[in-house]
Amino acid sequence: MIVESASRRRVRTVLAVAVVALFVFPLYYWTTTAFKDAREIFNIPPNVWTFDPTLKNFEEVFGISLGFLRQQEVLPGGGNFYMAPRLWDSIVVALGSTALAIAISVLAAYALSRMDFRGRHAFVGWVLSTRMMPPVAVAIPMFFIYKDIGLMDSYLGIILMHTLINLPLGVLLLKSFFDDIPKEIDESALIDGASRFLVFRRVILPMAKGGIAATAVLCFIFSWTEFIFVLTLTQTGLKTVPVVSSSFVTSTGTAWGNMAALGVAAMVPAFLFILLVQKQLVRGLTLGSLKQ
Amino acid sequence: MATVAYRNIVKSYGAVRVMEDLSLDIADGEFAVLLGPSGCGKTTLLRMTAGLETVTGGDLLIDGARMNEVHPRDRDIAMVFQNYALYPTMPVWENIGFSLEVRKLPKAEIRKKVEAAAAVLNLTDYLDRYPRELSGGQRQRVAMGRAMVREAKVFLFDEPLSNLDAKLRAQMRMEIRQLHDRLETTTIYVTHDQIEAMTMADKIVLMKGGRIEQVGTPDDLFDAPASLYAADFIGTPAINLIEGAVVDGAFKSAGIHLPLPPGTAATAGQRVTAGLRPSDMTLGAAGSITGRVVLAEKTGVEQNVHLDIGGADFVVTAPRDVSVRPDETVQADIPPQKIHLFDSASGARL
Ligand SMILES: Nc1ncnc2c1ncn2[C@@H]1O[C@H](COP(=O)(O)OP(=O)(O)OP(=O)(O)O)[C@@H](O)[C@H]1O
Ligand SMILES: [Mg+2]
Repeated sequence: MIVESASRRRVRTVLAVAVVALFVFPLYYWTTTAFKDAREIFNIPPNVWTFDPTLKNFEEVFGISLGFLRQQEVLPGGGNFYMAPRLWDSIVVALGSTALAIAISVLAAYALSRMDFRGRHAFVGWVLSTRMMPPVAVAIPMFFIYKDIGLMDSYLGIILMHTLINLPLGVLLLKSFFDDIPKEIDESALIDGASRFLVFRRVILPMAKGGIAATAVLCFIFSWTEFIFVLTLTQTGLKTVPVVSSSFVTSTGTAWGNMAALGVAAMVPAFLFILLVQKQLVRGLTLGSLKQ
Repeated sequence: MATVAYRNIVKSYGAVRVMEDLSLDIADGEFAVLLGPSGCGKTTLLRMTAGLETVTGGDLLIDGARMNEVHPRDRDIAMVFQNYALYPTMPVWENIGFSLEVRKLPKAEIRKKVEAAAAVLNLTDYLDRYPRELSGGQRQRVAMGRAMVREAKVFLFDEPLSNLDAKLRAQMRMEIRQLHDRLETTTIYVTHDQIEAMTMADKIVLMKGGRIEQVGTPDDLFDAPASLYAADFIGTPAINLIEGAVVDGAFKSAGIHLPLPPGTAATAGQRVTAGLRPSDMTLGAAGSITGRVVLAEKTGVEQNVHLDIGGADFVVTAPRDVSVRPDETVQADIPPQKIHLFDSASGARL
């Protein structure tokens, strides 16, 4: 570690803790809200550190799957707050669209990075331009198209939509990772007798793991939080967490506690996914600076 | 084992022509060195040979067969890149054996060949390491090993030693040359280091701006440079070049008066440049060259004495025990047959 005076280090530590606290506090407050009774949530002054923890919100949101409640008990004259299947919808959509987006963009990005064909440079700009249109402008026409071709209200429909939106980002990001790998490595493998695809699979892909993990995380998070398309392209078949969160806003008031409970639960799969690819991720995000 | 021939090779990148009508023959088992300054087209020629770059015009022949349109994979060539291009996610043994694995050789046979190559290259203890865990010299040897196990027709090297320190470079120079003497594989070796070229080559191909300036053995290039450019490029310290004129059957310039070398084509009154190698000259009490000592650089074995002759720097290599003092006036001499004369305008040897 670099040498510095003790007082300087103390100032730095205090600053660091303050900044981290600033970021972590909303998360903490949201999480505790999920464990508070409805009456306690809006107490003034707020009960930040001391409150009566309750699992009621979680019971209402995940009751049936946790074995506390039976289906008919969930509806005491209000909305249906049972959300476990919605969490599952989110997982299927996010994993599906991430896998598909990565599979397509990894091949496209490699081709764009390595192969010389007419209009290669224009192609990159064109890929990027598809992201320039605001999503809302696309959502309405997509609604009619989906209705006509029967993708409305289906997993496949939403997965395809999210894949489509993630592709430009995936292609450009992965292309920059491939661009960082010296061309001589491909050439060396080609001279060694490998085919293009074998070079890609055996040599390049293992080198790009970090970049792929980083891209996958971004795709996953996008799909996990996407709202507009799920709202317009689904009815009753499936709904992801962001959309269904809005159903806690009812005519008789907003169920903040339940909303927080769902939000906290929704963080878990995303967190697990990131944890899973974390080892690669660190390498991916620092590639270039740490390249040997 | 193979011959390589270039017939009127032309290369353009878009509208930019970087190589013009280049022809060259490399014999079976020969160690040919492409030598030239940065940007003269050495790498381009090598990459065309490997099939990594298209040939714009002319023919590339390996063993007499035209290769212009053949895929790199099917040329049976092994190449060592300047940055080695090792596969970072594979351990050393897999790096070396990759080409055999691609050709679907049995595992046991791959293992055997990799181990044999590793033994020759002193890599046996490093087979399980990854490239990032190796030193520069070891990486360089892995790259060599990768080429060796191939038993390819032609080896191509693109400045393989340029990332190594001086001592390791000298050692690898010898190892590569010994390896070549054992395997006798036709080799094309690119460098801009004239010492590498002089020490390793059977044949030096001196290039300049996409053209071949001179082809010959190291001795040919040193003893009979075909042009001013060739004379200036080869030899350390660099050859002394003195502009002057042929007057009364002798070379005359400020402070210098030399006889003409035997058999020269220089004619009276012609503007010529004389090339005098520092090592061909002797310091003494009498001589045809008179100058004032500026500085004596010791190199260990000998010393390079810098003289001021009419304002120009002039170097004479002398034994270490000759003592000279700054500002002393000394004489230097050279045997007539060691004098190189060039036409000052065209640079051609006379
Ligand atoms: N892809 C390319 N596009 C355009 N010009 C190129 C390209 N590659 C090389 N050149 C040009 O071709 C010429 C020869 O380049 P080359 O790389 O063969 O030089 P070199 O002799 O290997 O030099 P060095 O010793 O620096 O490696 C240079 O003038 C270079 O600018
Ligand atoms: Mg080069």
